[in-house]
Amino acid sequence: MKKKISFVVILVLAVGALILYKLYHETTPDIVDSKPERVTDVSTLINDFHSDSMAARKKYLDRVVEVTGIVKSIDTSGAIVLGNREDAASVVCGLDRRHMKDYEQVKVGSSAVIQGRCTGFEIAEEMLGINLGTTIQLSFAGVKQKNK
Amino acid sequence: MFNKKGTVFFLLLLSASFCFAQDKFFTKTGKVNFFSKASMEDIEARNKTVTAVLDSKTGAVQFAIQMKGFEFEKQLMQQHFNENYVESDKYPRAEFKGVITNNNEINYGHEGSYPTKVTGKMTLHGVTRKIETTGSVKVDGENLKIESVFNIQLTDYKIKIPAVVKEKVSNNIRITVDTKLEKLKA
Repeated sequence: MKKKISFVVILVLAVGALILYKLYHETTPDIVDSKPERVTDVSTLINDFHSDSMAARKKYLDRVVEVTGIVKSIDTSGAIVLGNREDAASVVCGLDRRHMKDYEQVKVGSSAVIQGRCTGFEIAEEMLGINLGTTIQLSFAGVKQKNK
Repeated sequence: MFNKKGTVFFLLLLSASFCFAQDKFFTKTGKVNFFSKASMEDIEARNKTVTAVLDSKTGAVQFAIQMKGFEFEKQLMQQHFNENYVESDKYPRAEFKGVITNNNEINYGHEGSYPTKVTGKMTLHGVTRKIETTGSVKVDGENLKIESVFNIQLTDYKIKIPAVVKEKVSNNIRITVDTKLEKLKA
């Protein structure tokens, strides 16, 4: 009986240790091709934050969002900016470490579909007297499909 | 519609605002890394969506960082960072407001790398503290590259390390700023 109990205890401890080890070493998931929780376009996303930032926060923040829009600029060190070149407002997408070369699939002025997690926003931000407009940030992002 | 004086005033105002804008550089895709050397494991994260502005006329510089934008390799570390350490829901944004104290030694019209001394205030986890550091500004055509490495102590910003991992997580964090800025077009 004692042997049986010892065996069960060891088994439980081993399974627990294995789960902890797995949890500890689990890498952040690649969400670029996962099912999005929100699908939208740049102007709708920006307008949602402009019209009611609290509601937009609830709707988008911490969620996987697929955004379609025109590529405004590309930062080859890991970011793609969507938006209208004439407007300061932007959706800034920080590329996930597994999608660092995704910028090669898009061109400035062309349409792109980007998916990432909405990690922050600033409404009508002004710094040092510069109107930076509204900025919505997506992190862990990547290009979902080739530019149309 | 305008009389002569009004037209001249309007043109002066327009050129003044053009000159004003020409002194400023910005980015919304700045990069900031943090690194912690710990006995158990090194912890590293990178944020690629940092907003930064520099006024070349005055040397004033500002950074704004959304804390949830830090990307970790490990899921659990990222979760602990946001929930237990920096409390990203409560304090979503960190910022730095400062000035390049040797700005007059930088020739923004001439390509090259210029060493900088920066002083300012950093707000993190709801706590604002003075920061003094060095770095460089690299002038590359109409773009700038700002680089700086400095250390902060978590306890200075009232960031608590849970007792269970206190011996394994370093209080000393190395921050690396590596950010390209473009000239603001009028």
